[in-house]
Amino acid sequence: MSPHENRPREDGLPQDPQDMKLMIHALVDGELDAAAALAVERRMAADPELAAEHARLVALRGALASVPRPTVSDDFLTRIAAIGAAKDAEDVEAARAGPVKAEVPPSVQPQQQSNVVEMRPRAARWFNSFDWRQMAASIVLTAFLASGATQWLATADNGAESFAVAVANGHRRSLLAASPVDIVSSDRHTVKPWLDGRIGVSPPAPDMAKDGYALLGGRVEVIGDRPMPALVYRHHEHLITLVAAPRQNEAKSVPVADDLSAGGFLLVHWTDDAFSYWAISDAERPALDDFVARFRAAIIANPAAGSPG
Amino acid sequence: MLAARFAEVVLPHLGDALSLARWLTGNQADAEDVVQEACLKAHAGIAGFSGGNPRAWLLTIVRNASYTWMAKNRPRSVVAVGDLADLDDVSPPPGSDADSPEAALVAKANSAAVEAAIAGLPQAFRETLVLRDINGLSYREIAAMLGVPQGTVMSRLARARGLLMTELGGRHHEPA
Repeated sequence: MSPHENRPREDGLPQDPQDMKLMIHALVDGELDAAAALAVERRMAADPELAAEHARLVALRGALASVPRPTVSDDFLTRIAAIGAAKDAEDVEAARAGPVKAEVPPSVQPQQQSNVVEMRPRAARWFNSFDWRQMAASIVLTAFLASGATQWLATADNGAESFAVAVANGHRRSLLAASPVDIVSSDRHTVKPWLDGRIGVSPPAPDMAKDGYALLGGRVEVIGDRPMPALVYRHHEHLITLVAAPRQNEAKSVPVADDLSAGGFLLVHWTDDAFSYWAISDAERPALDDFVARFRAAIIANPAAGSPG
Repeated sequence: MLAARFAEVVLPHLGDALSLARWLTGNQADAEDVVQEACLKAHAGIAGFSGGNPRAWLLTIVRNASYTWMAKNRPRSVVAVGDLADLDDVSPPPGSDADSPEAALVAKANSAAVEAAIAGLPQAFRETLVLRDINGLSYREIAAMLGVPQGTVMSRLARARGLLMTELGGRHHEPA
């Protein structure tokens, strides 16, 4: 590999065929940003050898996905969970043996008061490692509560409506970001395993390019405190984000698509057996309704679109 | 508090931890021992986990525990992980002809064949492939874990996949 071979062409991709193959791997692995992915896809379209490499990689990925994963037996999980619990009990013991700590049960001292009074003796033992850990833990807890409380106010208060606002905010943010997707691919065989790998769940991702809705890719949305898969489709110049929240028992069933709006965007909300879907776009209402109708028809017609194979 | 953090950071990734340990040590029973050992270390060091990807953090510990375990129990099979310069030359991965029924063959390979093919990879390639394709870590996370440049991760991954495709595509090794 001399420097000459590596001089970039206009598309910024390597000239060297071996390096170019690495770019195909990077594309399949979802490691490229939108611009690079587009450039690689263009090269692939022009070069059958690269396209074949891509096809082989996608096939290999499918084969690797079929390798059974070891199951975590209940017995093993219990053993490991016991490590955390046992060691923690030791720490509590240590805490009781030493000067009064925050973990003294409320029955022994009134909690509020004792915390205030204890600040002095604790400060004197600043370099004690146990105090450090408690300090770190309480900082983490405070940060968690502070951020959690905001999220809770935003989302937990009035269910569906605030969820819609969160979906709208996510969509808006994605339009402002460098790329609306974290994994760029028009191939559901790439998008679904990527989502599975990140958050362990992926919704059906039918290919609807022939209907005028091209799959651009996927990203992870965090709504409330839960990461959720989101697919992004393009319809003319509009982007449609489809958030698919795995159904939980308490979630209200919405078999008929429900038209909503939030934050200046139009939304459609519906559920099926597995997911609670939220489609959002700045497209016109008829276009969004048409997308939803076709998406639902596609996953009913071809449930296999839901499997990564 | 620490128990809660342990439950949050470690327990969800036990499946991945077992996968990695299984591929590094070669069998399932040893993997449980290694992961248990790693979890003890993880618990001891949980205060030092400062955010980032908990899975990558745990897998780093599992990888170290695997090699420690291998050095103790199977000293013969441990390769010198530090000395891989020859492996990292970017030589053409096998199987580079343009049009292939190979993709179809690979897709049809049964999982036993895939497992055998992974097990047959040289250690450094197997490790990189498992971290990426089984555990789903990013190039950056793998590079940080292995202490090698991202380019090395990419070339090892390409070599590993090339070898797998050759094996599963039913083709004979070509001189690389």
